[in-house]
Amino acid sequence: MPFAVEPGSFRDPAGSVFYLDGRVLRGFDPTGWADFEALAATRFWQRATERGELVKTTAVELATLPEATTKLTGIAGVVEHERIPVVSYPFEWTFSMLRAAALCHLDLLLAGLAEGFTMKDGYAYNLQFRGARPVFIDVGSFTRVQPGEPWAGYRQFCQTMLYPLLLQAHRGVRFQPFLRGAVQGITPQDARGLLRGAGRRAGRRAGVLKHVVLHQAIDARMSGARASDTRKELAAAGFSAELQVATVKAIRKLVAKLSWSEAGKPSTWSDYQRTSTYTDAERERKEAFVERSLAAAAPLGICADLGGNDGTYARIAQRHASYVVTADADAVTVDRLWQRLATEGNERILPLVVDLTDPSPGLGWRGTERGPLFERLRPDAVLALALVHHLAISGNVPLPALVDWWHGLGGRLVVEFVDPKDPMADRLLANKPAGMHGDYRREVFERLLEQRFEVLDREELPSGTRMLYHAVPR
Amino acid sequence: MRSLAYLDAMSGSMVVQAVVAGVAGIAVFFKLFWRRLTAPFRGRRAAQVEMAESDER
Repeated sequence: MPFAVEPGSFRDPAGSVFYLDGRVLRGFDPTGWADFEALAATRFWQRATERGELVKTTAVELATLPEATTKLTGIAGVVEHERIPVVSYPFEWTFSMLRAAALCHLDLLLAGLAEGFTMKDGYAYNLQFRGARPVFIDVGSFTRVQPGEPWAGYRQFCQTMLYPLLLQAHRGVRFQPFLRGAVQGITPQDARGLLRGAGRRAGRRAGVLKHVVLHQAIDARMSGARASDTRKELAAAGFSAELQVATVKAIRKLVAKLSWSEAGKPSTWSDYQRTSTYTDAERERKEAFVERSLAAAAPLGICADLGGNDGTYARIAQRHASYVVTADADAVTVDRLWQRLATEGNERILPLVVDLTDPSPGLGWRGTERGPLFERLRPDAVLALALVHHLAISGNVPLPALVDWWHGLGGRLVVEFVDPKDPMADRLLANKPAGMHGDYRREVFERLLEQRFEVLDREELPSGTRMLYHAVPR
Repeated sequence: MRSLAYLDAMSGSMVVQAVVAGVAGIAVFFKLFWRRLTAPFRGRRAAQVEMAESDER
């Protein structure tokens, strides 16, 4: 009976997540359980669950669980959550995805406040994506609002959602390296330095002034104050639940206005499908090969489209796999793909920003609180189309290491090898000293592939410079 | 007053929310700092009564 405690679920003592036989369960202590029972009786909870904004949650009879499970965590009640197919983290999302997640969080908080509930935190990691749709997963966040108390999660919301968004919207600086650099996000102190002068332009002034400049200044001034005393002082000065609503509404208004100017401009890869060197005939043959290979293995569970660009092949994969993750390093392309998928209400393709030569490592407490990308993503099928030459030539990853990597992922593989004579590969080779990539050749690639995989199907595209392979691990 | 927050909400992050809330909140913000400034002149007894009052809320 596989039982495991979620390593990222320890900060709130009122409840924690554990896994039992593939089920996602959450145990509550008596306080957390009382909050949950009250929450489950509210209208907003029902409504948000039906709409898919809140993770689907059902109460579990304690008697049906093995005794060891319930004793271990000393819990008063247990719920079961729907499983999110692939867990992703904010530093793998694009600007529009983080903004959508932030709005989902704030909308739930506002809906909760209308019925007497607030949230204990404001953490970007409490949101996940089901395909292109954000979903709030931490039902343990909700607690009954205490008169006179401001939102306890405001600082965390600033650090993991608002500041990263402001940084990218006002400075054009990508937030992903900052969130990946610290699981608690950007501190008010750092935000003030990073956004210095960003509030000079009209329209930006109020947001930066209040949430960054004033926040940091008051924070520094009150660093010695005790939070419990401050709560009492705020209550005595007249802070009310209505003011908490006004605060959250003001933050929502600010977040909804933020935009990333780069998103509208072309990037290195944003027009790839249109400007690439493929002819129509070649593209059709390639699509047919991918379709045929995946159809032969269908139904598949999870498919990873590595270097997925605008999602063309992810959409083909979606016909044969229950869930598709498309990972690409180009944030503009991924952002646009997410916007299209979100408009369609797609819940089966998850687009992520990932540099495959530097994928997300384990982070947080003991490096296990937030797991590495390829522990969260265990694909049944991998697409690696027009990718090998980038990793091998630009990224200097040796071909044997690439083949080993795919083999380690465990699933079947549909891979394209672009010959050194192909204009795309030739362009990359021209940036490197002559002879440096002497072993980047089709016969070397085929030999390495056949050592670790059984090649079921192969096809040369009409150009004669591109080969496709469908292979299963040996 | 009972607080169930497991996070340290940090005093500065709580107080700035009053300003974010708009006009009514800004009044609370100034009242809070006014009370902090004048607390020494109101004497210890008054401060204790205040704390007791806010505990009952």
